[in-house]
Amino acid sequence: MYAAWTVKHKPQTLSEIVGNKEAIQKLTNWIESWNKGIPKKRAALLYGPPGIGKTVSVEALANDLKMELVEKNASDYRTADAVKRFAGLASQYSTLFGGKRLILLDELDGITGTSDRGGVRAVIETIKNARCPVVLIANNAYDPKFSNLRSYCLLIEFKKPTVLQVARHLKNICVIEEIEADERALKLIAERSGRDVRSAVNDLQALTQGRRQLTYEDVAWLAKRDRKDVIFKVLNTIFRARSCLEAKSAIDAADVDPDMLFQWIYENVPHQLTDAKDLVMAMEALATADVYRGRIRATQNWRLLRYVFDFMTAGVAMSRQRTKPSGWVPFKFPERLRWLGRTKRDREMQSLIGMKVKRKMHVSSARAVKEILPYLRVIFEANAEMAAGIAKWLDVDESMIKYLAGSEGKAKVILGNLVG
Amino acid sequence: MSYKMWTEKYRPKSLDEIMNQKEIIERLKSFVKAKNIPHSIFAGPPGTGKTTAALCLTHDLYGENYRAHLKELNASDERGINVVRQTVKTFARTRSIGEIPFKIMILDEADNMTRDAQQALRRTMERFTETCRFILICNYSGKIIEPIQSRCAPFRFTYLSKEDQHTYLQKIIQKENVKVLNEGFNAIFEVSGGDLRKAVNALQAAASLGRPIDTETMYSVVGRANPADVQNMMLLAMKGNFVEARNKLREMIWKYGLTGSDIIRQIHIEIFRSSLPERWKIKLAEAIGEIDFRLIQGSDDEVQLSALLARLTEAGYDMQRSG
Repeated sequence: MYAAWTVKHKPQTLSEIVGNKEAIQKLTNWIESWNKGIPKKRAALLYGPPGIGKTVSVEALANDLKMELVEKNASDYRTADAVKRFAGLASQYSTLFGGKRLILLDELDGITGTSDRGGVRAVIETIKNARCPVVLIANNAYDPKFSNLRSYCLLIEFKKPTVLQVARHLKNICVIEEIEADERALKLIAERSGRDVRSAVNDLQALTQGRRQLTYEDVAWLAKRDRKDVIFKVLNTIFRARSCLEAKSAIDAADVDPDMLFQWIYENVPHQLTDAKDLVMAMEALATADVYRGRIRATQNWRLLRYVFDFMTAGVAMSRQRTKPSGWVPFKFPERLRWLGRTKRDREMQSLIGMKVKRKMHVSSARAVKEILPYLRVIFEANAEMAAGIAKWLDVDESMIKYLAGSEGKAKVILGNLVG
Repeated sequence: MSYKMWTEKYRPKSLDEIMNQKEIIERLKSFVKAKNIPHSIFAGPPGTGKTTAALCLTHDLYGENYRAHLKELNASDERGINVVRQTVKTFARTRSIGEIPFKIMILDEADNMTRDAQQALRRTMERFTETCRFILICNYSGKIIEPIQSRCAPFRFTYLSKEDQHTYLQKIIQKENVKVLNEGFNAIFEVSGGDLRKAVNALQAAASLGRPIDTETMYSVVGRANPADVQNMMLLAMKGNFVEARNKLREMIWKYGLTGSDIIRQIHIEIFRSSLPERWKIKLAEAIGEIDFRLIQGSDDEVQLSALLARLTEAGYDMQRSG
């Protein structure tokens, strides 16, 4: 079952929030001031870039102070009528059961109307009559449509946390998820996300899906210019397109490296098109695109690129015939590129050992890698004495022994045998 | 303590020690007697003694110091035309000192040479026949161009019989003091076919575990040593778990360095061995052939084989529905 880590690892109390200590203190003080009577400002407007914990802070605060949180977001108050429908809630401080109430209007940027008309106007009215704290959240508090509203609110700015703070948060998640992660990898994820905690956590989850380890190389290949959000948009278009032209347009819309995009589509096809018939059609479309890539390589005739695009976009899009829509399926990072990075050293090591074997055993190094190296591996894992003798005979070095033995510990025993 | 790989430790030194391929060995011995050999092609499946026969022949011709008169080149590692122009020519044209006026060049895995390189080789063979004799070793002589074939004496090596393999392994087992249970022998033959190199490597790996070798040990060693768990990958795909199957594929290609053609060859074998309905085997063979052709033309191994795995997923799905 897929549980988004942004939900699973959402801070439950204020002490777990990443950064923004000052803003949170200010917010807490204001809420607590309600205990001494209605303060001058009956609303607080939290603002700042997305994904840095504005909503989460309010939720955690309500949790810490045992307040009843009434949460509304853009779809609930797009128009004045919609706002009026819940305005009544704000006119009482206590709930029926004696608890204290906190009203949260999230995603205020989505509200319609101008400063004195429509939705915003209704929000202002609600604040004026509020008998409990009303918290508003917006990305941009200085949007002209909020100019009147601002004067009724205590403005609290949320800032981006530092790379280190984000990385530390990722580290905590890794500990809980039992993932062994390289500090530099976490820092890189934090940096690449633009210090957006939510997006960093999403990236971490995508990058570590089903594994116990995260190395710097796993993250490093994510080139800056192929920004993930751009690619996600393109993928969205392709996997939802209803016509060939619509799917093909995705390529023009984004400045993405076609090879990179191919890898993204190839990775995600089986996750998006789960029906066997759809899957086989889409994979065949990708295979056809790949045949054209081969033809371009062979002829250097780049005119053929248009057919690569046809099959990797429209071909994949039109394969969706029977897969039932199943809500949002997160996009996966292309494993291929990570396999390449992760196994590069392995392959280099294999060919070095292959050369050594070739010298002694009258086979090509390629055949040595395929046919003999696997048995060497078994021997080096199982029998240090025999392994030491063979290591000496083949003249393999320490790093090769370590590779063949599969672990540092076993390699040490073999090396011990070599000396003794 | 001296350990080598047993395939080398027990590789016959002289033609007299080779027990199988009797007719071939008799003819080679007659070359030694005459102190003359023609250009030759040794063709046959892997692990049947081609390279060994060539080395033994050279040994018997020149005596203990035979290495001075021999050059071994593996065409898989050096397959281009430049190698023929330079390495081969340089070696071939200089005269050998001693009783026998020619040297011997062993070109192993010669079927991996490009056609251009083979054309160049043909001229070299002709020009320097006086000073150098060639032994071309390959799996299929069909991949060697006609003009070369017509200049060479052909020798066809075949898989070892179970009895021959048994006799050969018995010698190693006694010298190395390994315990193999009877069924263990059967298992070795099962997993190796008649490929002696594979059999000896598997035997040594199994022996390294330090316990009597029975069927189970043998299969577990070969399983561990065989990264191309093609059967399992196919099973995953047919059960509908395409993503897992693709991960297996990636492991084979990227971690263990198998090529697309290695894998597709095994898929092809497995399809016909499987218990699938017979008409599905033919259907799938068509898909396999198409994909194989694309690989030959330079398409991407992983993408093409993934498409094939998707076909298997579909086949599994259809079979389940039709009961």
